[in-house]
Amino acid sequence: MKTHIIKLFPLIAAILVILQYVFVPNFREFTPLDQTAPTHVFTWFMGFVALMFLVWNIAAFVSKKADEKLRQAALIYSAALVLLLIYDFATLKTGILPQPFVPWSDAILNAIIRDRVILWRSVLHSLRLLFTGYGIGVTLGIIAGVAAGWSKHVRYWVQPVVKVLGAIPPVTWLPIILVVANSLFGGAVFLISLAVWYPVTSTTMNGVLSVPKSTFEAAKTFGVTQFGMIFKVALPASMQFIFQGLMQGMSVACTALLVAELMGVEAGLGWYINRQRGWADFAGMYGAIVIICITFLTVTNVLNIIRRRVLRWKDGEA
Amino acid sequence: MIEIKNITKTFKREGANESLCAIEDLSLSIKRGEFISIIGTSGCGKSTLLRMIAGLEFPTKGEVLFDGEPISGTSPNRGLVFQEHTLFPWMTVKKNIVFALKSAKRYEQYGSIVDTLLETVGLRQFANSYPHQLSGGMRQRAALIRSLAVSPDVLLLDEPLGALDSFTRMQLQDEIVHLWKERGNTMVMITHDVDEAVYLSNRIIVMSPRPGRIVEIVDVPISYPRNRGASEFARLRTRLLKRLDFASEVEHEYYL
Repeated sequence: MKTHIIKLFPLIAAILVILQYVFVPNFREFTPLDQTAPTHVFTWFMGFVALMFLVWNIAAFVSKKADEKLRQAALIYSAALVLLLIYDFATLKTGILPQPFVPWSDAILNAIIRDRVILWRSVLHSLRLLFTGYGIGVTLGIIAGVAAGWSKHVRYWVQPVVKVLGAIPPVTWLPIILVVANSLFGGAVFLISLAVWYPVTSTTMNGVLSVPKSTFEAAKTFGVTQFGMIFKVALPASMQFIFQGLMQGMSVACTALLVAELMGVEAGLGWYINRQRGWADFAGMYGAIVIICITFLTVTNVLNIIRRRVLRWKDGEA
Repeated sequence: MIEIKNITKTFKREGANESLCAIEDLSLSIKRGEFISIIGTSGCGKSTLLRMIAGLEFPTKGEVLFDGEPISGTSPNRGLVFQEHTLFPWMTVKKNIVFALKSAKRYEQYGSIVDTLLETVGLRQFANSYPHQLSGGMRQRAALIRSLAVSPDVLLLDEPLGALDSFTRMQLQDEIVHLWKERGNTMVMITHDVDEAVYLSNRIIVMSPRPGRIVEIVDVPISYPRNRGASEFARLRTRLLKRLDFASEVEHEYYL
């Protein structure tokens, strides 16, 4: 007999967060003029979260799949909500964490809503920068990787470049780029594509090198052309490795993007964070961090979904 | 149709100046429609010989002729099946076969027989499965019909059943005989298994190692389908094992 109680944990945790927020006294009094005065936005938000878990619980009675998923995720979600509970306790309720440098959830949520237009524009600008650089880096990386995996002569030149430059964090070059580049956007694109190029090149090369010789020989006996050998054999055969590079590349690209925006580029999420810090708008700063987390998580998830699709022929990737 | 004339093959050892002689002064002629098995202990150059017929390697001295022409590279006319299945794991079974046919530019001609071939080896309902979803035996069957689909004049088999359990082996041996009889192409197979060689082939080439050369060619005048338990079968097997120095109890008397 499986217990059902575990499925209720996230719902209970969400309700506890609301109860604490509404009924436990705050660490100080707020006047309506206070910019960070607690509102009911957070109450509604958490109410929505609680409602979602309630719906999920009901769905679990009907669908076996929903039931399994909820059981799997229940503890993690509960833990996350308990962390939120503790966070609010340590900020709004007791002020244990230094105020006003660590704003509570409601203040962050309100800051996000207040600055939604500029935040949305910043997200778009960041994504545009990210994908321009990522696209260029991935394209050049796959070309270099396949060429290096294919030909000893190309490998002779590419391998040391990857080895030496790959050991240096790409953001090291940022000061030079900021000085030399004509446009900051162009400079940041260059930096991001450079950051992506290393992992993609090296995993693609290793991927092509790892394809068993007999795979190529079999293809050869069917009369596969040189073009086909590269695009229809070597490339798909090393797809698993290439995706490793794509994932690693995405994570370094995100780092490079943020550093570039924090250091110089005059738009995007990194820039927004810096600006809010300058204005001592800590809630806005935290809000931007939350948005950054959501953005990068989404990007990585989408990449993961694509990977699973492409690699569905692989054992255990389906 | 395949003429191997006095070939010698040496490999340069990496780093050292000496070279390794894999095959020395070997000649052999293979007739159209024959089933030839090559047996011998490891290192006797049988794989090298097969790869030279496939056009993946070339002799250091001598020449290999196919229909009177020296072999200058691979060709869909000479198919090769490896010990480890070489199906492309990112394609389904059927796509593997279609890819082979299209690469060989024979899809128009033979595209219609793909389903029949799948049926013959019992893979019809696995046509859209990926290789990792199949058992070892099914993979090897798929690899076999992939090579056969392009209708090669010669099918070269490099220990195709070496990695399979003995029951699957025997099943596949029957299927190979069946496919060979049906299509009438030439088969050249390497094997470590004396029983397999006797069961399948018209002629068995026994090779000895270092350097690889032919020590004996044994005709197998038993009609198909063959009976694994027949006395003729056992006699031939003993003779071959002796030739390979594995049935040497008798010879001990000489030493004593």
